[in-house]
Amino acid sequence: MLNAKQVSKSTKSVAIVIAVASALGFSSLAAPAKAASPVTISVVLAAPPLPAQMLAEFTKATGITVKWTQLDWDSLQTKIAAAATANTFFADATDVDWSRVGQLGKLNWFLPMEKYVDTKALSADMPQLGSFTKNGHVVGIPYDASFMVTTVNKTLFAKAGIKKMPTTIAEYTADLNTVKTKKVVQYPLNIPFAAAEGLSTYWYETTGAFGGHILDATGKPLFTSPTSAGYKAAAWMVNAVKTGLVPPGNINVADSQGQQTLMAKGKSASTFSDYSGNVGSLYDVPASSSVVHQVQYLATPGVAGPASNLGNPDGIGIPAKAKNPAAAAKFISWFTDGKNMADFAGANGTARTWVGYFFPSRLSGIAILNKKGSIIGGDVLAGMLKTSAAVFPEGAPAWYPEFSSAVYTNLHAAAAGTMTVDAAIKAMAGTATKLSSGK
Amino acid sequence: MKKKKLDLLPYALISPLIIFIICLALTPAVYTTIAAFFKVQPLNPPTRFSGLDNFRDIIHNSAVISSLGNTFLYILIGVTLSTVLGIYIAVVMQRSFKGRSILIAILILPWALPGVVEGILWTGIWDANTGVLNSVLKSLHLITHYQVFLGQNRLLTILAIEIVQVWQITPLSAILILAVLQNIPDDLYEAATIDGSNARKSFRHITLPLIRPGIAIAVVQAIIATLNVFDQPYILNGAASTANSLAMETYAVSFQNLNFGQGYALSLLITIFTLLISVVVAKFIYKKVEY
Repeated sequence: MLNAKQVSKSTKSVAIVIAVASALGFSSLAAPAKAASPVTISVVLAAPPLPAQMLAEFTKATGITVKWTQLDWDSLQTKIAAAATANTFFADATDVDWSRVGQLGKLNWFLPMEKYVDTKALSADMPQLGSFTKNGHVVGIPYDASFMVTTVNKTLFAKAGIKKMPTTIAEYTADLNTVKTKKVVQYPLNIPFAAAEGLSTYWYETTGAFGGHILDATGKPLFTSPTSAGYKAAAWMVNAVKTGLVPPGNINVADSQGQQTLMAKGKSASTFSDYSGNVGSLYDVPASSSVVHQVQYLATPGVAGPASNLGNPDGIGIPAKAKNPAAAAKFISWFTDGKNMADFAGANGTARTWVGYFFPSRLSGIAILNKKGSIIGGDVLAGMLKTSAAVFPEGAPAWYPEFSSAVYTNLHAAAAGTMTVDAAIKAMAGTATKLSSGK
Repeated sequence: MKKKKLDLLPYALISPLIIFIICLALTPAVYTTIAAFFKVQPLNPPTRFSGLDNFRDIIHNSAVISSLGNTFLYILIGVTLSTVLGIYIAVVMQRSFKGRSILIAILILPWALPGVVEGILWTGIWDANTGVLNSVLKSLHLITHYQVFLGQNRLLTILAIEIVQVWQITPLSAILILAVLQNIPDDLYEAATIDGSNARKSFRHITLPLIRPGIAIAVVQAIIATLNVFDQPYILNGAASTANSLAMETYAVSFQNLNFGQGYALSLLITIFTLLISVVVAKFIYKKVEY
């Protein structure tokens, strides 16, 4: 039996061991030594994991195991920035958003993809690859050809007596007014005016429809004149709230929220800047929609006819501090393969379908889907993808996030009535001018 | 004289905590303090000493000034409401009754929920297009059209958002005050009753003075929470200037604009501000009580 002194001594020993163990980290003491294992890569995206069956096939073919982590988009961008600034490992492959390409390209936070993948060969099959290129380097590979499209509830339009779909902004606005005056719905247009990225994107798409660009090649604003496309687009959007085309409550509605609670519920008749793929993945899904088979894609109405669509693709790249860049590159090549992307989009059954996936970034992937007839509005979307254009033809500037913040906070304020459109435009332009001057 | 043997046990027991504090609190605090005086901009290298430039830039940043005003309103509304409600709940919970433990468990739930979840939950209440509140008010014929609670009027927006945070932080205030309340001897109330005191007078002259230590801690924790409010305004009102807080501005400056030097400076100012207010509160509200 232990006496009191022995107990005290043994307690001390245990306490000291615990303290030392804490300092060193419990895991190293607790975990048994592992045998050498095949390569495991960490993939972090703002999307749910790929179908287990497909990941298993990838592992079987390459010996690479994928550890998938899903984070929301904003947190993901913060973590990428924090890890890169701290010069530490975050993931082997992670999100490269088109809007961050300028910033990431300048900071060299991601490895140049052309070192690992034949990007020249890819470019013909991947129209949006240019949006991911900065200073001659490919920062990421687009895996989802999301682009902005106009969606229309044809049933509500028909109820208002509209038989021919609009092709110009003027016709489109007149049709929305008809839907409202005939009381088919109280607020026919969905514009997400919440101060968030979705509002900036909506304005870019509308500016494109009005026939213009946001910034010139040096980053100076092209929207200061009242006759410019950007100014007209902002005025058109804010006027839509003031004239009752858009619900007043939309000043706090984000893009996906408006799509889910207004368009999908038949409370709005149209979204001018919607996500490609939403018809198949949201509006035609009975569980989430009360307007099944009522919503269709519409070539974005422009000044004198259909306008080009704004590219809004999601990409994937390899952070500079990746532990297994070669394995990550193998995964990215497989992940962005045309046939696999067609499978993600539902070409070969639900077991191979990736929940929430919109549209392959490769024309060959879309061709497979179209051939199988498994994509709703596939012909229309494929045509739009061919003419989809980058928001910034010269590539997103490195200071884009700060500019975008100025765009959405000021447009939100104009819609909320706390500032005029003119003041909002001046504030946005002032930010672009200051940032492009390097101040 | 017999030399006293050094007893290592107490040091061993507290060493994990000391290591934890040094690694996760002191080191970042020291780093932040030093880095606040440097230009740390990955887009504009190299990192260089800049004296008070970061602080000067912050003072001239209209978004920071606007968020400072908003944060002051968050503190004012949040601390006042959570403290008053905390005292009320604690007094109600002071006496034992059937189901008291279950009620306390239910009350603590909002405190246990992440701010993001609360923001999403309350979106369904405040939403101007499909919100529950509008629906209820309309069905009671109190309004004819759905109202916009968030985003148009600054004070209304901040009040609506702060109510969500008050819902979250009040349970902790109540528990902190209740803990002190339960230490007050019943004899004091019995003696007061014999002397002719009614419930209101007993609350004013016995309860309130004796729970001051609990109120002080509750107020300090409410100040810290409201001064750092982020999730609720971010979810409910986006980045709009009508309700953005200092913490949101710090995030934007640091991770959106990648101006870490200014971010450090802003964080340092928030920390100093928190310490100053806490010291003032402790000095004026906290009072050591003996029964």
